[in-house]
Amino acid sequence: MSNVILAAPVLLPLVGGAGMLARQLGTDEKADSRRLAWFVEGLALANSLVIFWILYQKTGEGLVLFRLFGNLTVRFRLDRMGAVFAGLIALLWPLATLYALEYMKHEERKRTFFAYYTMTYGITAGIALSGNLVTMYLCYEMLTLVTFPLVLYPMTKEAKKASRRYLYYSIGGAAFAFISLVFVLSFSSTGNTDFIPGGILDLGKAGGKRDLLLLVYILGFFGFGVKAALFPLHRWLPRAAVAPTPVTALLHAVAVVKSGAFAILRLTYFSFGAAFLRGSWAQWAVMAAALFTIAFGSTMAVREVHWKRRLAYSTISNLSYILFGAAIMTPFGMAAALCHLVIHAFMKICAFFCAGAVMHQTGKTYIYELDGLGKEMPVTFGCLTVASLSLMGMPLFGGFISKWGLAHAAFSAMGADRGGLPGTGGWILCAGVAVVLYSALMTGIYMLTVLVRAYFPKTTQAQAPQAEGAVPGKSLDPNWMMLVPLILFALAILLLGICPMPLLRVLAGIGGEAG
Amino acid sequence: MKAVSFTVPGICGQGLHFQINGFSLVYLCIAVLMWVVSGIFSLEYMAHYERRKRYYWFFWVTLAAIAGVFLSADFYTTFIFFEIMSFTSYVWVAFDEKKESLRAAETYLAVAVIGGMVMLMGLFLLQNLCGTLDFERLGEAAGEILKGGFAGTGRPIALGSPRVQLYVSAGMLLFGFGAKAGCFPLHIWLPKAHPVAPAPASALLSGILTKAGVFGIIVVSCVLLGADAGWGMLIASLGLVTMFLGALLALFSVNLKKTLACSSVSQIGFILTGIGMSCLLKAVGEDNGLAVRGTFLHMVNHSLFKLILFLCAAAVFMNLHQLDFNEVRGFGRKKPALLFCYLMGALGIGGVPLWSGYASKTLLHESIVEYAHAVEKLEAAGNLGPWAGDPAFWHRAEWVFLITGGMTVAYMAKVFVVLFVERHPSRQKEFDAMSAGYLRPLSSIALVAVSLIVPVLGLVPSAAMDRLASLAGPFFRWGGHMHPVAYFSLENLKGGAVSLTVGVFLYILVVRAWLMGKGDPRYLDRWPGWMDLENLIYRPLVRAFLAVSLLGCRAMDSLADALILAARKTTHSQVFLAGAMGGKRAAKKKGGSRGYRFARVLALALGRLRRSGSLVEESFSYGLMLFCIGLCLTLGYLLVAFFRG
Repeated sequence: MSNVILAAPVLLPLVGGAGMLARQLGTDEKADSRRLAWFVEGLALANSLVIFWILYQKTGEGLVLFRLFGNLTVRFRLDRMGAVFAGLIALLWPLATLYALEYMKHEERKRTFFAYYTMTYGITAGIALSGNLVTMYLCYEMLTLVTFPLVLYPMTKEAKKASRRYLYYSIGGAAFAFISLVFVLSFSSTGNTDFIPGGILDLGKAGGKRDLLLLVYILGFFGFGVKAALFPLHRWLPRAAVAPTPVTALLHAVAVVKSGAFAILRLTYFSFGAAFLRGSWAQWAVMAAALFTIAFGSTMAVREVHWKRRLAYSTISNLSYILFGAAIMTPFGMAAALCHLVIHAFMKICAFFCAGAVMHQTGKTYIYELDGLGKEMPVTFGCLTVASLSLMGMPLFGGFISKWGLAHAAFSAMGADRGGLPGTGGWILCAGVAVVLYSALMTGIYMLTVLVRAYFPKTTQAQAPQAEGAVPGKSLDPNWMMLVPLILFALAILLLGICPMPLLRVLAGIGGEAG
Repeated sequence: MKAVSFTVPGICGQGLHFQINGFSLVYLCIAVLMWVVSGIFSLEYMAHYERRKRYYWFFWVTLAAIAGVFLSADFYTTFIFFEIMSFTSYVWVAFDEKKESLRAAETYLAVAVIGGMVMLMGLFLLQNLCGTLDFERLGEAAGEILKGGFAGTGRPIALGSPRVQLYVSAGMLLFGFGAKAGCFPLHIWLPKAHPVAPAPASALLSGILTKAGVFGIIVVSCVLLGADAGWGMLIASLGLVTMFLGALLALFSVNLKKTLACSSVSQIGFILTGIGMSCLLKAVGEDNGLAVRGTFLHMVNHSLFKLILFLCAAAVFMNLHQLDFNEVRGFGRKKPALLFCYLMGALGIGGVPLWSGYASKTLLHESIVEYAHAVEKLEAAGNLGPWAGDPAFWHRAEWVFLITGGMTVAYMAKVFVVLFVERHPSRQKEFDAMSAGYLRPLSSIALVAVSLIVPVLGLVPSAAMDRLASLAGPFFRWGGHMHPVAYFSLENLKGGAVSLTVGVFLYILVVRAWLMGKGDPRYLDRWPGWMDLENLIYRPLVRAFLAVSLLGCRAMDSLADALILAARKTTHSQVFLAGAMGGKRAAKKKGGSRGYRFARVLALALGRLRRSGSLVEESFSYGLMLFCIGLCLTLGYLLVAFFRG
């Protein structure tokens, strides 16, 4: 009976969000908006507490919410990999909500915005907690639907276009994912789609149709890869940067896109099974796609001058680091992928929140407008420095740890079964490490140019146009509601960079179990 | 001295691993000395700058980072502190935020970042290959691999064979460390960054940050590869090229700090040659003690010289805010303290007997001579290895060494004449008037005190310098006994005398006769402007690469969009067609009566409304359609599979 609580983190925000949509507006606008803020923040906090409670309790068996038909059940279950993702979003969500409340303070249609924003929390928790492929697939589809209004929110022409594109890609991708779902079901050894470390394919049945199954795996990889912005299905992400910054930061750098990567990890290690895929052409194909996306994303980011879009391209590249780790298909690869999933969440949300803080305080959205802002917004740009160096993979910051893990995984997979000599796939892995470093170099260009501009302006102070509302001698940093999340995220990056061992140990355990 | 090591497990993933041995102890002391002296100097130098706080903050963090580099006992630790050092010292270069500083800082950062990435790749490879990055165990693991030859599975030279991988990773590490050390062709940042950084910071950049790079090269060469002739040849050749080109650049320079920076490049070349010689000597089974001692002592010496010389330049810049030779001429006249300090640095770096630079250069020179003899002997015996080089090559190398020594003398003489002999055509009186208060007492005491070290070391080379060198022996994996060297024997003095003579001739024939204008004695910059590796090759290369890759990426960016658009046009085209036709019809009616026009506006508005409203609906329908296609395909497959059994 205690397992019922597993459904709580999914249902609580959904009900809360729906309630917000249904409730009539009060007459007193100010009080109304204050109540809304308390409600939204309270709900996020409560939900996070529930998630932490579940993690603490380590609820084992799982909960079948309802039965669709036959063996198809909507089932929630917490395993260690789900725990990592659930814990991650539970950490980020209340802080991001705090930031969002301040950021959206003066916007219209707040109620609608926060209703969907809260509902997304539930769906994302659903993805983290889902115990079988069917549940995850359903949550994945619903994620598209609840985040669609958030992209549409500004209601400008650009936003409409972006949201339309988002739908095309997401639903189209889900169709491919659906194909893989059906195949997993029909070739399953357990008769259902439950996630079991090592995969559930019945190898006897699958033996003759190996190539077909591999093809289906690729379809599934690209299908879920839409949310993870895999080339060539990445295009929606930079456009979706028109959404308000909290959405771009939390959803398009963490919740939504990480759901895609998470789904791919599930599909690879828990449905098809790494042993089935390892060494096959499908592995090299998806790895090549991931590597290409890494190089592509970071190169495009260099070109982009719109700050948030640049960060979005950077996200594209970084998500494929995770996919690259997934495609290595060894315990190390799995651990490295999860490690980057966690660490990238912190650094990218931090970077986006800095961009948002600048937009909120000065209205500047293009990189060439940032001259000299580093001195006017010291805390914001301090946090951005941490995030940037971490994204580049500098030591002492979290990004270095995950990058090292990825390269280690790639190299150890390379010579694993050939006495140190790389085989055909070995060269792809070797190239993979080179691509990761190339991308780190590009990251250096696209992140450091922002910092250099902000700290060492090409134009002198006197020539630079004063930012709106700038008072000499007073910093332009936003208020505590936006600063606290920023500082906490920056500290988290440093903490993960300096003492990563607890996290790495947990992840190594998960990898060892699943690979 | 017994090495003491300690680890800090868990930090940054793999844990940090430190070791205090003779080498790191000496270099730690030098680092502290340099920081204290240039810190004292900074008090005066930075007094008028606004952003002092920033400078000092990065100043001290860099000290911590550099201490970490010299104390590290595995490459992981080295890399971590090396990167911190690169980034914190970047702020020095960009400090005054002028256009040229920012450009130089950009170059510095680019070289540092690229070097760091390549180094990281090398480390990944190395760890995979040897299973460790610990200095203690790397040598053994690499030794095993080097024994293995190039063969892979069945092929004589397999690209992926461990030995090739080892060379590749060592090469990558060399790239990373060499970029920081200022090794040709990655020296480009030095001549740009030093002149623009605050002078006390330039002293550190050139005196000790480059040594962090050298530290890495020593580990790769002496610890990892040890007695590999091919590697030694590579390092020695790079060293020879670097020393000659650096000296050439310094000779042509007309800027005080740029001269010193190019001189640093050249001196690093001497050090690299020494490292290469120690590998080569070990490879032919000789005792490499001379090369090891020469290398280490020259590192120590160069750190001291550059500290002194850059602080002298700081004294000039503080008062004049000029570095051009034509502007600072005669500044040093009637300033005995400055004269003394400069002379100590210059005579030391020039390799004049009785100053400490002479001892280290002699050792390096002797090691080349020794190796040339060894090669001759081997050739006579007929078992000369493929990478040992022939005797003729090494005799030429010896001459390059001596001539470069001469060029060192020449450019130091050039600076000496500029500062202390010539007079400024118009401002000499003003300069002489500065003689009283051009340096605060504290700064001048610090400077003079450091300068005194040079002759003290140089006067008793056997007692002081050999002992210093023996401390560092174990770090270079040198196990031999220290033979006393007769520094002031006729043979050795001859080498110094050759360099000095060459230097005097070069000064008279090149500097006075060619590099100065006839009649009007101004210093001319005769270095052809286009001959700049950075502007000629690197920047265009990077720009071209970026342009091409961006073009490709942009084209591919819309790949999926184009496909979807095409698909959408074919399935949902009626919406657009209807819209377009409606528009045309409305246009035809233009110019009708007023009512018509009103109706048209209304119709258009209505159409717009409907269109935007239908966007959402349409998107859903399209997405759902794609979904249905997927569903149908799956169903079809299942049916087929079912009927086939």
